[in-house]
Amino acid sequence: MHELVFRVAVVVLAVSLPLWILLSVAVLGGRARYDRRQRIGPLKPNGRQVDRLLKRALGRPRTEWGEWRRISAINRLARMRHPATPHILYHALWDGDPKVAGAAIRCLGALGDLWAIELLVAALRGDRVSRSRVAAQLERLYPEPGFLFLPLLRDPDPAVRFWGATLIAPYEALGEIDLVNLTRDEDPNVRAAAVEALGHRPGEHAAEATVALLEDPAWFVRVHAARAAGQVAGVDAAPAIARMLGDERWWVRTAAKDALEGLGRAAVPALVPVLSSPDGFARNGAAEVLQDVGLVDHLALEEPQSPLLARIYEAGGPKLREAAEERTARERRIREEKAA
Amino acid sequence: MTNLLAILVGVCLGYLLLSNAVYVVLALIGAVENGVRRHESEAEDYDTLASSRFTIPVSVIVAAYNEASAIVSTVTSLLDLDYPEHEVIVVNDGSSDETLERLAEAFELEPFELFARRVFRTEEVRAVYRSEKHPNLFVVDKQNGGKADALNAGLNVARYRYVCGVDADTVFDRDALLKGMRLVIQDPGRVIGVTSHLTIAEDPERTMSAPKGKRRIDRRPFVAYQHLDYLRAFLNNRLAWSRLGFMLCSVGAFQIWRRDVLEELGGYARGFTCEDIELTFRVHEHFLRERREYSVLCLPDNVGTTEGPDTVRKLVSQRERWQRVIDETVWHYRNMWFNPRFRSVGIVGVPFYLVTEVLAPAVEVLAVVSLGLSLVLGLFSPATFALMLAAIAFMNASLTACAILLDDVQSRTYRTRDLARLLLLAPLDLFLYRPIIFWARLKGSWRFLRGDKEWHKFERNVRSQAA
Repeated sequence: MHELVFRVAVVVLAVSLPLWILLSVAVLGGRARYDRRQRIGPLKPNGRQVDRLLKRALGRPRTEWGEWRRISAINRLARMRHPATPHILYHALWDGDPKVAGAAIRCLGALGDLWAIELLVAALRGDRVSRSRVAAQLERLYPEPGFLFLPLLRDPDPAVRFWGATLIAPYEALGEIDLVNLTRDEDPNVRAAAVEALGHRPGEHAAEATVALLEDPAWFVRVHAARAAGQVAGVDAAPAIARMLGDERWWVRTAAKDALEGLGRAAVPALVPVLSSPDGFARNGAAEVLQDVGLVDHLALEEPQSPLLARIYEAGGPKLREAAEERTARERRIREEKAA
Repeated sequence: MTNLLAILVGVCLGYLLLSNAVYVVLALIGAVENGVRRHESEAEDYDTLASSRFTIPVSVIVAAYNEASAIVSTVTSLLDLDYPEHEVIVVNDGSSDETLERLAEAFELEPFELFARRVFRTEEVRAVYRSEKHPNLFVVDKQNGGKADALNAGLNVARYRYVCGVDADTVFDRDALLKGMRLVIQDPGRVIGVTSHLTIAEDPERTMSAPKGKRRIDRRPFVAYQHLDYLRAFLNNRLAWSRLGFMLCSVGAFQIWRRDVLEELGGYARGFTCEDIELTFRVHEHFLRERREYSVLCLPDNVGTTEGPDTVRKLVSQRERWQRVIDETVWHYRNMWFNPRFRSVGIVGVPFYLVTEVLAPAVEVLAVVSLGLSLVLGLFSPATFALMLAAIAFMNASLTACAILLDDVQSRTYRTRDLARLLLLAPLDLFLYRPIIFWARLKGSWRFLRGDKEWHKFERNVRSQAA
């Protein structure tokens, strides 16, 4: 036994001690090399190195490690704006490997040239790359790609129409008629994207289309419609949005609250009738919005005996009252001190 | 007697060699995973992610119980996260200290009634506060119900599809959430949970105040050893588990989950000493039982620094709790042990926990007793014994050096001289640090057998005035 333990210990020590030394050297040496590189900055590759990078960027590696070397080569060549970059990125984009395609998308976004934007828009039409990644790059390139999104709104593929409507949102002067038409699209995702985009462009047509979608059968369309209607239709849409405080979906009720809060005190006339709603969610929601727009504090300070305040407290419950009293007590103290 | 002793020694040394061989394999797999993630991270466009409206919003939930000394720094670091859309929900779980007052003062809190969903039943919510200074900060003040209950209360208020549960004593890097959500954004249908690597310091605010590359590792060996322990756990082990599909511990200090998964599972469980590991086990159990595709990942990115105990007593208190919760969870999910229905989780992951965590204290006791007796009875010469200890010490040191290497390659956070100090401390870990952990694990196992489920929260360290 003694002999066996002795031998095993010797073997383990003979392996682990040099290994510890080797790893320690790797840590300290690697760090020193990294620090030196940071000081002198990236080195420009020479002709032979560029050839090697080109070979790697266009290659088809079989290992995961090789894939990352390829991605690294693509990144370096794109950063250098090598003349072969469009060719390399085109191939990488349609490679089929999501990692390689992702790198290509990033490089195209960083380059931002018209040909790169056109390639990104083309990638949105295909389904081989992460469309949200492509969209994030196209969004960043505002305002150049705007007019290229218009054909997407009429694409037969609903996913493409969805991304077209989503991306065109910040371009207020573009595609209003198409977006209004898309609010009647058969695909609810497209309707949601269209109504969200219309929320950025005030106008009669946009207002009508958004208010119409407040009754949409898809709950997530109602969410976007509530937010958009608050923005484009304003106070006129407040009664319809206030009715949504009693929606069966929590997300819709929250969107309605946000929209009404955005309207500020102008939403009050639409909210007061909801305080007597038979629906508990609607009553609570109306009281919460009235609290958030500052009406509760105003009434508690200026008209504490107001019947409206009593109705809000009744609809919101004791915690809403306690919170209001705590908030206003401070203001009252300040006023008393000033008066004294 | 001598024969029995020889058998016992043989069993213990066999266990040691086998478990270390497994750790070496895991470290190698961890190194591959670290390399892949590093390449991915280098190829990632963080600037676009940080500004894009397509980046998925996240609700960050902080469960706080008597965290007056740390809470303001933690919340400040969370509000300062570089992320396009996130909200911070602090749940004051009936603290008896000044946690709420400190928050109210620092962030100008105002009480507001908020009609949130009651998806999870929790102890009574006393009030909800909003910050005048930060519209994305909410504070929920509730009756004490434990950390799981506090997190559930936060989930009720959370508005977004993803939630990130964090500890109230951790200071986060600005890019923590972005790094954590990077893989979720790539594949939100499949990636349902993410955790990442955290480091430890006696005073996290002071450590995090320095830029990356110039951060110091605590000078006290006691804290430095805990730092090494974290590095080994995250980079050698969890990265490998993540690659092999059995990431069984999403740490409470930083755990991102898809909200609908938590709703489906009924939220955080109150019946365990600690909530994080149990939830991770439950997620695996649920998804594998229903044969659904999913992944729970651990990333190698250092996302923040958490407070480590600065005395032996506090460390024992913390580690015995960890041991207890591992025991509780592994025992609770005993239907998964060696069960092929649960794929790599049942075949490798849970048994790995069983052998290296649950049974380890018993084997360690056996080893100390049998080796001590062997030495006394002359079964080994003192020279052989010393050689054996040296072999074990350098075996551990090699694994530690591997973790330091992986961490530095990934994050380049610490000063070179501090890395050198850590490397030198590594071989002494067996003699200076492991005995404390041995005692804590033993205590934890004993308390598990007695059915103790108390948190035994350790007293907070004295913070620097700079915070």
